[in-house]
This record gives sequence, structure tokens and C-alpha cells, in this order.
Amino acid sequence: MADTDVGGLLRQLAPQVLGAVVRRYGHFDTAEDAVQEALIAAATRWPNDGVPENPRAWLVTVAARRLTDLLRSEQARQRRENAVARRMLPEEWLAPPADRPASESDDSLILLFMCCHPSLSPASQIALTLRAVGGLTTAEVARAFLVPEATMTRRISRAKQTIKDSGIPFAMPSASERATRLRAVLHVLYLIFNEGYASTSGPGLHRSELAAEAIRLARMVHQLLPDDGEASGLLALMLLTDARRPARVGTDGELIPMAEQDRSLWNAGSIAEGVALITDALPEGPTGPYQLQAAIAAIHDEAPSAEATDWPQIVGLYELLMLISANPVVALNHAVAVAMARGPQAGLDLLNTLQADERIAEDHRLHSVRAHLLEMAGDRAAARESYLAAARRATNLSRQRYLHTQAARLTSDR
Amino acid sequence: MKYMILTYASQQDYDALSGKPGGNVAWSAEDFAAMGAFMESFNKQLAESGELVETRGLAAPVHARRLQWQNGVPVVTDGPYAETQEVLAGYWIVDCESFDRATAIAVRLSSCPGPAAASSPVADVRPIIESQTELEL
Repeated sequence: MADTDVGGLLRQLAPQVLGAVVRRYGHFDTAEDAVQEALIAAATRWPNDGVPENPRAWLVTVAARRLTDLLRSEQARQRRENAVARRMLPEEWLAPPADRPASESDDSLILLFMCCHPSLSPASQIALTLRAVGGLTTAEVARAFLVPEATMTRRISRAKQTIKDSGIPFAMPSASERATRLRAVLHVLYLIFNEGYASTSGPGLHRSELAAEAIRLARMVHQLLPDDGEASGLLALMLLTDARRPARVGTDGELIPMAEQDRSLWNAGSIAEGVALITDALPEGPTGPYQLQAAIAAIHDEAPSAEATDWPQIVGLYELLMLISANPVVALNHAVAVAMARGPQAGLDLLNTLQADERIAEDHRLHSVRAHLLEMAGDRAAARESYLAAARRATNLSRQRYLHTQAARLTSDR
Repeated sequence: MKYMILTYASQQDYDALSGKPGGNVAWSAEDFAAMGAFMESFNKQLAESGELVETRGLAAPVHARRLQWQNGVPVVTDGPYAETQEVLAGYWIVDCESFDRATAIAVRLSSCPGPAAASSPVADVRPIIESQTELEL
């Protein structure tokens, strides 16, 4: 079996193994280290020795053995653990009822809920999710976020300490908490995806793997909770956005806006899957922000060109989105859609209102959009000024280069 | 032993790099891509030899903030540098066997492609002090 196949198998098994070990022995923080060591052992041995007949059982056994060693060598820690165990409520000592055995999928979901616990900072939620559920090594997580490995090691151990200190039991959140906690999980996956997708420069390769990892985890959540509309919506949104990746960057690494992308390069398989997911999810229950964003992405992905896009429908979807999650970036996208549907002046009017929102007034994106709409309206001089204003506010060199090229285009040709 | 390699650029250099009109010799898309490719392979070689600790590029000086204490009160100024003043643009921290080896690494930076007349760049190589005991030696 090739190295990459072993890697894929290990990452798929990681949350199941950790879930099984924690369920059986407790000690989430130490168990997580033990499982990580078992995964590393497998990654070095399996490519040579072959994959064992029951890889999951192999990993659970090795991790459990390692956990025993770690716990023995940390007597002081064990005493503290015992103190915590004594504080547990009697009902928490009970094993799960025999008529409903815990499944591997329950374990993966519980782990996700733990890693995205609201007592952790977003940076810690992301790091812990990628390591404990995604099965990435600390070095891989560190590389993806461009921080030194020592920083990431501390971030992960602090996160585990917080979980330990807060005494969160390894159990499904209560029914009343579940919706809020699931939103936190989806948000973490969304952040991981954006971190990978938004990066265009530097060591881009490692970063794009983050987008793939986010899709893999979102797919897992969707499979665990097939009836949750927002879990489906998030997976659809990721697939429909990621489908445009091959057309998004030019040969010299420059960004290409959607209107100018070669749509034949878009990934038809991802688009079909994303459209099917959102089509199934939309009629079910209340419509959340991920479903709306996925629906917008689907309209873009299915349009043969920017002009032939169903802009009035996109305007309507953005208006729904603004009702449930008002933020200036959504309002900016809404202004673009309005301009496409009703002409540039209607969009520019909305931008003038938006300019008063100080969260976005100094953002290069507001000025880029204004430049684009002014150009559509035929005001080349003002458009050029706005492109330059946007370039001054952008810190990313690739983006600055794009904006300067746009400004230069309005100076030279006629 | 760890060393820090520092490179410098002025706001004008950054403007040229970002394709801003009216500045120094503007970089074409090809120039820019060639520089990116050089840096990627330069960093990859250092990472593979195990000598790279970390490297960063810094955004243009116009995005800098300077803190100055006036009578004990911190005053923040935005982008305080003159157009032509060269300021820190990026750095590498390398962990290697000798000062000469660190210098040799910095010398390799001179093969970074770019428009011929771009500038006459400067780099510094400085040993890193790891602890207070080293300072007292």
C-alpha cells in the first residue's frame, strides 16, 4: 500500500480510535497524545510491514498500551485525575445503556463537539480539531498556519488542559445545548476551509490541503447528521466554492476574479455534488446561513457566464442572508449583486450607505467594488482613483498588483 | 548557533513590486512570479537542509505603525517612513554550523531575479543571542 493510502486510512481512523480509547479509559488529554503516537507508529510501520487485518483494533491496542505507560509515568497527574473522578455525579459513573451501544460515529461526533467546545478560543478549536479529529500531526498543523511548531504544540496542550480543567465529560451534549454546539463545530470547519481557500501566496500547497481537510471533515459531519440542513449546506458551500479553485489563479500566481475565470476549468464533479446537496437540503426545515451561501454559490457555478447569471435571485438570497446574519461583507456582496441586476448606479447608492459602517469603510474590498461599479457606469477616471485607493489599503502584494493593473488599464487603452 | 538574515526595502521598492504606476522600474507579472519561485525554492532548500528556523516577509512600510514614548505617554504614528528610507522588509532565522555558512546562505539571495535596475539590495547577517548568559560572556 502506498504511503498516501496509509495516510488517508490513518486520518479516517484517527477520530474513531481516539473516541474508542477515551470512551474506554477516559483521560482525553493523555489519550490524545497516546493516539497520536500510535498513528505515528502505524505511519512508519505499515508501509513496510503491510496494513494489519483490523487496522482500527491495532491502533486502539497500541494507543491503549501507550496510554497506560503515559499515565503510569505521571503519577501526580493520575492522582489529580482520581480527585476529579471522585467529584463525578453518580449517573456519570454508569456505562452507556446496553440497548444502545455507542457507535464509532457517535465517538467521532462527540470528539468534534469536545474540540470545538465554546470554552476554547477559535485558534485552539481549529488546532485541536485538526489534530484530534483530522489526525494531522502538530508539525502539519503548524505548517498550515505558518506558525512555529513549538507555538502550535503549546496551543494544543493549552487547549487540552482547558478541556481537562473544565471537566467536560466524554458524552453527547444535552439536547438543549446540541444546536448551539453544532453551530460552533460547523463554524470551526468553515474557518479551516477559509484559511486554506483564501491563501494564494507563499507556501500555498500546504494551505490548499487545509481546504481539502475541511471538506473531508464536513463530509464526515454530513454523514453523521444527514438530516441537518446546515451541515449539508456547509458541505455544499465548500464543494461549490472549491470547484472554482482551478480557475482562480493565473499562471503567474495572480488572482482572477470570478467574472473573468475560464468556467470550463471549474470542477464539474464538485459542482454536481454541491448542487445535489443543497437542492435536497433547502426544502427541509429552517434555512440557515450556510444553505443560503451555498445556494448563491450554486447559482454562480451553474451560470454559463457572469452576464448570464440569475442576479435577481442572488439579490433575493443575499437579502435573506442579511436578515439572519447582518455583516458588512454580506452587504458588500449584496451591493455587487444589485448592481448586476439593476445597473451600477443602484449598487453605488448602496455603497454610499455602507461607507458609514466603520467595520468596512477602510477595507480594500469596499474600494475595489466601488472601482468596478464606477467602471461599469463608464466613469473611468473615478474608477481608476478607486482602484488606486483599494491598492493603498491592501497589504497582500498579489492583490495590490491586480488592483494596480486594473488602474493602469484605465489610463492606457481608450 | 542561530543567525538572523535581514533584508531591507523602501516604500518605493514596495510600490515597484506592487506594480504601482509612477514609481521605480515596475515589476512585470513575470518578474514577480520569478521572484516568488526563487523564494519558494530558496526556503525549501533551507528547510530540507534543516537550517531554516523561520522566515517572514513584512508588509509595506506604509502599513507600519510606530510607537514613541513622549514623556512616558505612548504615541502611535501611521506609516512614519520617508519614501526612500530603507526599512526591514523580511528576515530569515537560520540555525547553522558557522557565521560563514550563514553568510553563504545570505549571499545566495543575490541570485534572486528581478528587473536589472531594481536596486542595490543590502542584507545583514547577525548572530542571535539565545540567553542572558551569552550576553554576559
